[in-house]
Amino acid sequence: MAEILFYVLSALALLTGFGVVLAKSPMMSILSLLGSFFCLAVIYLLAGFQFLAAAQILVYAGAILVLFLFVIMLLNLGDMGVVAERSNSFLDSTAARLGAALAVGLGVIGLVAASKAAFQPAQAEPGKALDGLEAIALQLFGRYSLAFEAASILLLATMVAVIALAKRQRKSGQNPTQNGGRA
Amino acid sequence: MNVPSEHLLYLAAGLFAIGVLGFLIRRNVIVVLMCIELMLNAANLTFLAASRQHSTAQAANLDGPVFAIFVILVAACEAAVGLALIIALFRLKQSVEADSLSEMKG
Repeated sequence: MAEILFYVLSALALLTGFGVVLAKSPMMSILSLLGSFFCLAVIYLLAGFQFLAAAQILVYAGAILVLFLFVIMLLNLGDMGVVAERSNSFLDSTAARLGAALAVGLGVIGLVAASKAAFQPAQAEPGKALDGLEAIALQLFGRYSLAFEAASILLLATMVAVIALAKRQRKSGQNPTQNGGRA
Repeated sequence: MNVPSEHLLYLAAGLFAIGVLGFLIRRNVIVVLMCIELMLNAANLTFLAASRQHSTAQAANLDGPVFAIFVILVAACEAAVGLALIIALFRLKQSVEADSLSEMKG
């Protein structure tokens, strides 16, 4: 049972991965990527990594993809991406469009399968997790404590970098409004 | 699950190949960033497969999960900075196409 589920979810993850590449609009790519991440989360769960499956859904699907979604909606790229890539005949066929639609559909099916399958391994073999939360915490604050501190510095640097990037745009804010209709 | 760990590695290789393909053929910078996320996920899967391979029934190997956590952290930082750069690029060029960046072409 779990083996069949693994191979089905692997195929779904690969198909939705192709959907990310072949989808015409960035929104479709996001949805495909979401399906791929959910399939991978269930694969982690099946392989015994329960904490990583939760982190995958919380951090990847919950935080990073929402960040992408924010940017796409903020820049209003839902249609622009399609118009700008019109010249690329490779992606401008009905086959590619059908493939994208198929990928999104399969991604949704993957989501349903993921939500149905999510609780089965934990019930079937309790306490069989390869990554116990306590053991991971001991590793993280013991053997990998230096990397942990470096990670906090990385997060701080990222925050400062993003603020600096956003602030420099505000200083020269009148230029884009002057020649804004160039798009 | 009695799937051999090699099959996890095959899946990771496939996902990484798809990510590289998208990185090379797409011109929308946001989709390129998404393909990078896909590649980082493939790396995560590789770490977890290696950890699963080297775990025994008594002692689980925790290096893989810890490294996967760090990879997720780096992915989050990379997405934040990359998207901030994309917003700056859009304000400058009114476009997110990689082809619109040709100032430094010789």
